[in-house]
Amino acid sequence: MQEQLSRAEIAGASAPSGAIVHEDLSAKWFLVSAVSYFFIVGIVALVIAAKFVWPDLMGTIAPLSYGRLRPLHVNGMLFGWLLAADMGLTFYLIPRLCGVKLWSEKLGMATAGLWNVIILSAVVCLLMGWNQGLEYAELPLALDVLVVVAWLMYGANLFMTISQRKYPAMYVSIWYVMGTIVWTAFVYLTGNFAVLFTTGVNQANLNWMYVHNAVGLIFTPVGLALAYYFIPRSSNTPLYSHKLSMIGFWSLAFVYVWTGAHHMLHGPISQWLQTISIAFSVMLLIPVWAAVYNFFATMRGQWHQLRDNVPLKFLMSGVVFYLLTCFQGPMHSLRAVNAIVSKTDWIPGHAHMAVLGAFSFFAIAGTYAALPKMFGKPLHSDSLANWSYWSFMMGGLGFFVTLWLGGFWQGWQWNNWAIPFIDTVVALQPVWLVRFFSGILMFLGIVLFSYNVLATALGAREQKA
Amino acid sequence: MLRKADNSASWAVAASLILFSIGGILTTVVPPLVDSSWAKPFENSDPAKGPTGKLTQLNELQLQGRAIYVREGCWYCHTQQTRTLLADTKRSGWKGVDSPVSTPDEFVYDSPHLFGTKRTGPDLSRVGGKYDEQWHRTHFRNPRDLVQGSIMPPYPWLVENPQEFKAIVAYMQSLGRAKNWRPNEDYEQ
Repeated sequence: MQEQLSRAEIAGASAPSGAIVHEDLSAKWFLVSAVSYFFIVGIVALVIAAKFVWPDLMGTIAPLSYGRLRPLHVNGMLFGWLLAADMGLTFYLIPRLCGVKLWSEKLGMATAGLWNVIILSAVVCLLMGWNQGLEYAELPLALDVLVVVAWLMYGANLFMTISQRKYPAMYVSIWYVMGTIVWTAFVYLTGNFAVLFTTGVNQANLNWMYVHNAVGLIFTPVGLALAYYFIPRSSNTPLYSHKLSMIGFWSLAFVYVWTGAHHMLHGPISQWLQTISIAFSVMLLIPVWAAVYNFFATMRGQWHQLRDNVPLKFLMSGVVFYLLTCFQGPMHSLRAVNAIVSKTDWIPGHAHMAVLGAFSFFAIAGTYAALPKMFGKPLHSDSLANWSYWSFMMGGLGFFVTLWLGGFWQGWQWNNWAIPFIDTVVALQPVWLVRFFSGILMFLGIVLFSYNVLATALGAREQKA
Repeated sequence: MLRKADNSASWAVAASLILFSIGGILTTVVPPLVDSSWAKPFENSDPAKGPTGKLTQLNELQLQGRAIYVREGCWYCHTQQTRTLLADTKRSGWKGVDSPVSTPDEFVYDSPHLFGTKRTGPDLSRVGGKYDEQWHRTHFRNPRDLVQGSIMPPYPWLVENPQEFKAIVAYMQSLGRAKNWRPNEDYEQ
């Protein structure tokens, strides 16, 4: 196998003969932007969590009201932080898995530039209330078009890299990235353009198909691509089974897209469509358990490494959160469970475990693991990294668990109509207070993480161990 | 075919697109073709078949109000669907009369749809006619003046803009009115 190094690792010296030298510029640009947005949007997250407890907080300033900040939080975290980090990390791992340089660093950097333009414009639009009124598709049409352009640039770059690969057999991460690129294109077009030609329930159906698959066919496959790459890499252990990873991939490709209507169970949408979405939601256990079993089996005999390997801590906790969140999903698409948890605070608990607990943990792990290679120096501080893990973990668990308990309790109260609605709001006050303090812990994790990343990126050379 | 995808990127892409599009087409393109109630506006004059009434399009003022509802993100915390759950029909009901459940034919003209996913505040699918303009004025200015313990944000900028306030109230009074279900005790009667 050929040696692969980054430009920073050889630091001006000439590369060993036959080695591939990766520039990693696109990856760096994407990662540094993503981490900055993680920090900024983290502040927004804290503000809206505080508004649940102190509803008059910044209450008279329209652009800072809850209804404007919530979409900024959701879009900022999904597209500013997570998707940008995922794109950066795939720019890092795809060339390495293919044994060639990235097809075009220039195109990659242009994509990163365009992505920043999109996110900054999105901040302005959402604060101004220029909101299309569709969840995850809030951005105005002009920005949607730019997203499509950026996605085509990103996809073209990676597909050209893959087509020039040195190793004919493709590792599972490559499939997942290809799947992400292709599915995202269709899912995004449905959710942002096709919806505009429909109304009512028909539009809602397309909207939920997009919302569900933004998580299921964008963040899930690219997140799994990271996990499949970084778990074996960080633990220095080969993947347990290639065949099992195939079962996971192909069942994901088939099953995920059917489940959109489970967002409207008991709602005004055809019963037969609800039933189909339930059946396929339960089948989601197949791709999830295939992937999770593979990760656990890879770690067999290697668990002791978790003691001091921070990326691996994030990765394996992410796998457990992924298993849990994807067990919740099928369970609360069952009608009886749905009648209790749907529309309650259980749902943000569930959604945060997927996006923060699973996929952001994978991206954070990838960043910690890739950073020293990309910048050719050790991480600024392993101890800070460990502290960031425990802040995220404790804050996350506090957040998830209180919202599940609170949400279930809320759902039971709603189903007893002798209890006035406002009493069910007042009852949840302690839950929201705990959520706010868990949010502070999570934000502390973000601060430690982003400081570590920037200190590694900008840090003076003498810090080199 | 899937084995071939191991070594061929084009095979992998083709196979993943085909598998994806089966479910994609069957769950998005087919349902509106099969289920006509998605596109046919509600209309019923026979009390034996359930609540009577007719869905009409919103007028200009109500549409303006709807745009404000979208702009301020009201739909992040208020759903607009009375689900097929007994509790929902009770909670959307008024003065002891249960609300009929929401059906697709009541939402035919809606774009963007505002069904919502989260009920931080109460469902608004049948709120039309329940509270008068003065109630809404006080409530928008500071919800806690009327509802102790509410966590709804205050919206002073809506109350202070007479045109916007008129529009948002007009829109809210239109909600759930296609089905003629309301008891005589609402403020308009």
